[in-house]
Amino acid sequence: MEKKLEVKNLRVSFKTANGKVQAVRDVTFDLNKGETIAIVGESGSGKSVTSKSILGILAANAMVEGGEIIYDGRDLLKITEDEFYKIRGDRIAMIFQDPLSSLNPIMRIGKQLTEAMILKGKARQRAAKHEFNTTLKLLNKWMIEANPDIPAAEINQKCKDFDAFEFKHIEIEQSYNEAVEAANEALSSIDDGLFLIEKNALTNYKEKANDVANLASKTYDKYVVTGDSETKLKTLVGELKAVKKTELDKMADILSSIKALLTTALERKVPNFFRMGYYLKFANQPLPDLSVDRLDEYLLKYLNDNFMNDFLATAQNALKHSASVHNSRKEEVIKLLNDSLPVFSKPLLIEKECRECEKTLINAVEDSIDRLEINKDSVAYTFASGLKSAIDSYFEGIKRNKASQKAHDKQQAKYDRLCARGKKPDWKVIPAALVDLEASAEDIRRVILRLKERYEAVLAASGERDFAKETIALVDFFKANASDSVYKVTKGMAKHKALRLMEEVGIPEPRKRYRQYPFEFSGGMRQRIVIAIALAANPDILICDEPTTALDVTIQAQILELINKIKAERQLSIIFITHDLGVVANMADKIAVMYAGKIVEYGTSEDIFYSPAHPYTWALLSSMPDLDTNEKLEAIPGTPPNMIYPPVGDAFADRNKYALEIDFELQPPMFKISETHSAATWLLHPDAPKVEPPKIILDRVARMKQRGEENNG
Amino acid sequence: MANNANNNEVLLKVENLCQYFKINKAVDDVSFDIKKGEVFGLVGESGCGKTTTGRSIIKLYDITSGNIYFKGKRICAGTLSYKRAIADAKKKLKQAIEDAKNDPAAAARLPEIKAETAKFITEQKAEMAKAIHDHKNCDKEYAAEATKEVDNKYLPLINSATGEEKARLVEEYKRERNVAKKQRFITQIQMIFQDPIASLDPRMTVRDIIAEGLVIRGETDKKKIDEQVFKVLELVGLVKEHASRYPHEFSGGQRQRIGVARAVIMKPELIIADEPVSALDVSIQAQVINLLNDLRHDLGLTILFIAHDLSVVKYFSDRIGVMYFGKLVELADSDELFKNPLHPYTKSLLSAIPLPDPAYEKQRTRIVYNPLAEHDYSKEGPTLREVKPGHFVYCNTEEFNKYVSELKD
Repeated sequence: MEKKLEVKNLRVSFKTANGKVQAVRDVTFDLNKGETIAIVGESGSGKSVTSKSILGILAANAMVEGGEIIYDGRDLLKITEDEFYKIRGDRIAMIFQDPLSSLNPIMRIGKQLTEAMILKGKARQRAAKHEFNTTLKLLNKWMIEANPDIPAAEINQKCKDFDAFEFKHIEIEQSYNEAVEAANEALSSIDDGLFLIEKNALTNYKEKANDVANLASKTYDKYVVTGDSETKLKTLVGELKAVKKTELDKMADILSSIKALLTTALERKVPNFFRMGYYLKFANQPLPDLSVDRLDEYLLKYLNDNFMNDFLATAQNALKHSASVHNSRKEEVIKLLNDSLPVFSKPLLIEKECRECEKTLINAVEDSIDRLEINKDSVAYTFASGLKSAIDSYFEGIKRNKASQKAHDKQQAKYDRLCARGKKPDWKVIPAALVDLEASAEDIRRVILRLKERYEAVLAASGERDFAKETIALVDFFKANASDSVYKVTKGMAKHKALRLMEEVGIPEPRKRYRQYPFEFSGGMRQRIVIAIALAANPDILICDEPTTALDVTIQAQILELINKIKAERQLSIIFITHDLGVVANMADKIAVMYAGKIVEYGTSEDIFYSPAHPYTWALLSSMPDLDTNEKLEAIPGTPPNMIYPPVGDAFADRNKYALEIDFELQPPMFKISETHSAATWLLHPDAPKVEPPKIILDRVARMKQRGEENNG
Repeated sequence: MANNANNNEVLLKVENLCQYFKINKAVDDVSFDIKKGEVFGLVGESGCGKTTTGRSIIKLYDITSGNIYFKGKRICAGTLSYKRAIADAKKKLKQAIEDAKNDPAAAARLPEIKAETAKFITEQKAEMAKAIHDHKNCDKEYAAEATKEVDNKYLPLINSATGEEKARLVEEYKRERNVAKKQRFITQIQMIFQDPIASLDPRMTVRDIIAEGLVIRGETDKKKIDEQVFKVLELVGLVKEHASRYPHEFSGGQRQRIGVARAVIMKPELIIADEPVSALDVSIQAQVINLLNDLRHDLGLTILFIAHDLSVVKYFSDRIGVMYFGKLVELADSDELFKNPLHPYTKSLLSAIPLPDPAYEKQRTRIVYNPLAEHDYSKEGPTLREVKPGHFVYCNTEEFNKYVSELKD
């Protein structure tokens, strides 16, 4: 299983007027690809805070006191906001509890769906162009260095040629893209027209016909509509233009046939524009008249013989050379990292020393990154910002601790003074909100160690690298970036995609709905829209924060089914936050039960429902009726503890009728029950008295087992 | 927790209740009885009219048509059915006159028909007047009766008493009479609302919130009010000290307890609980349900429980009515309903309940209800029919026979 997200020892507090509220204390869990983890707990247990720290949207008064959230080699707690822009909503998306408040009330649904797509399309174009130019320059430099027997001018010429025919390739592809876009727009306009004709509501038939005709005529002779179909399309467009008002049926027929024609044209195989670009640029003769497959083969041979084989060989040398140079630098970096560890292991760090160390380390690491590698090593790339923010937060912590200790001392003195005068103040002294410096220093060391481990692994695997493959991948990378730089996301395309998404999440008549406002939707439909928006960027991880709490049973079932369906289709990893254990059984692979900022029980859903071990899980389960419950429900007495003064022992001890004496004195560690199941309660200690779960749960588990046997037998 | 009330005394009787908002038929021809001491659950998806039903019963809306009887007395009545009957009769008469022009035989019968229609219309108008009178005056009459009772009780005593005793009695008589005069019959039905935050006035203390009903009823003795408030606070599991606080100082579960206390202090016989636990955390949900259960046993309350969480409804109710788009589609004992759901909508609703059982959940398939595909009402329209003693389903004859045979298998 591929690990998507690792949360390790996450600790988050909030600074409030009454002191420091410890919202999340030491939360650790993993999320694998295509898996759902459910976080269950009462309100105020810190489940939403956990999810918000993953997305980096904590409130301003929040302090991340330690821990790390590793996604794709990056620690999300330490990367800069700029880097977060590439992750938030794009790789990790979120569905909020209340669909009405997470949609903009004065913006049409369609616009809300397409807004991000269009903005992102532009950003990607820019990024791709930049990437292409810098990488080519770099390659040129290393080619010269790695191939001393070839004159530099020749290599420069090669790179120039590559750039030139890439440019031709882009030109061809751009015109193809425009034609495809016109075809797509024509299709969507045709759908619109057909819809209106069917509903007998087409008022301006002439405009519609002209619109479709214009769009369709843009698709001729751009490798989209060719040969016979081109002539056919031309006659159809002519007929469409001549349509009269009384002939709406005929118009519908024509539109349908144009639609069929364009659809088949779009489904046709796309010729390889990269190879075609070289041929058109340097061959100085028209393309041979061949079928797409044959043409591709012919062009490939031409390209390889004249240019590519040679270019690839030189590039491979460059890659090899660059890799060996950088590997030796990496070895140096490992040494440097080792040397720097003692600096950060002192009981109290010295700022000047640390900053100097930071500077040398960051410079060395920047030099050691092989930028010709296409699979970017995100540990190394984010090392600089990670180290800087870790060190910053340490020294900021020192400053902050001083200030808050001072404030606390002042208040304490005032309190003592009042007491000494024999008065009884009706206020309490707020405890100083101190940052744990030890944990903060540990964070710095962890950043360093993580890079060290990664580099050691890279060096160990360096013998097995296949440079021939990597060279091809590099060329593909150039091609992909060139294509991306001309791939413009237009309104029409975004609309097309949005309509498809709306269909995917089960919204009927998406064309009509596209133009409506959020208030025109029912609760379930609104939540579907929110899900569609979250899916628009094709994320890896979806965080669902109580997505069905505001909805009723049937709609809830529909939304849960939808989330499950999408998860299976897209191999999504889901973090599902809820207080309703009933919902979880259907959704989750793993369940983490949270109480007072800690995970008290962690296991697969079978573990939690069939053999719960923590008294809090028992309490949650027994306070929820199912269809066969007849006994009095066991409500959990009292309220969760005030997290400004977290209890010394087990936080649940006060409300727990199974509490042992030690529960009030010492926090229980996580006891492992099985490979997948663990719980933090002293009841699992070998010396603890044996306690049975409440009868209501035992009965229910027995019933469930019986039902399971009946179903199987 | 089903506790089948054995007595058959009907506390609330809803007869052909219709509640239309312009063209929107929020509740359409709904009839059911609630027996004394039972919990009657009303379920359905949002927008199906269950909350409107509850609000119509407590006279928050003037109903369009139908009757509602509480303790045998008509408290709500609508007029649409009478108006329709009169219009129909007039139409028939018109038709008869049309016919009479060509047909001498019909012409001969015409005077007879005319007289009949005129009689029918006067009857209907009288009924309608009665309905309007009952709808408007049931509270007034109740207050008049209560005042009379107080008069009967105190006047002889006052007449026979003398001196200080007399002064005290007069004082007491005045207070009691004041209370009796402001008595409303409808206060014997109380409501608990869904959202404990929105339903409590943030600028009133808990004492004021709970005592508001008493004050409106004319209670002026502060000591007596305090006494009752403290008693009811204890009853719902809060303490005396809470009385001087404001709602925002309480947790969700405690707030809902205040809502319950506000209803209970009026000594109601029927409580309409409109989704009282839907907005609460699971653990607090259990507290509130347990509280309602205890109160029901201690005070002998009858509860109309409106919710969409079927596990909770099943746990709490004796009988359950399922509503779909303003119609009551199925009505049965809660065990019976979950064992033998007959109406396809009930089946679909039951199949949507998530259970805390992963193995079961992985194979649960939701049944989708499509009214157009399920029913063919082109030949015969559906009505609420009794398929089995106590088990009613909204169906036509063909479906009725199908359901009966289904039950036999």
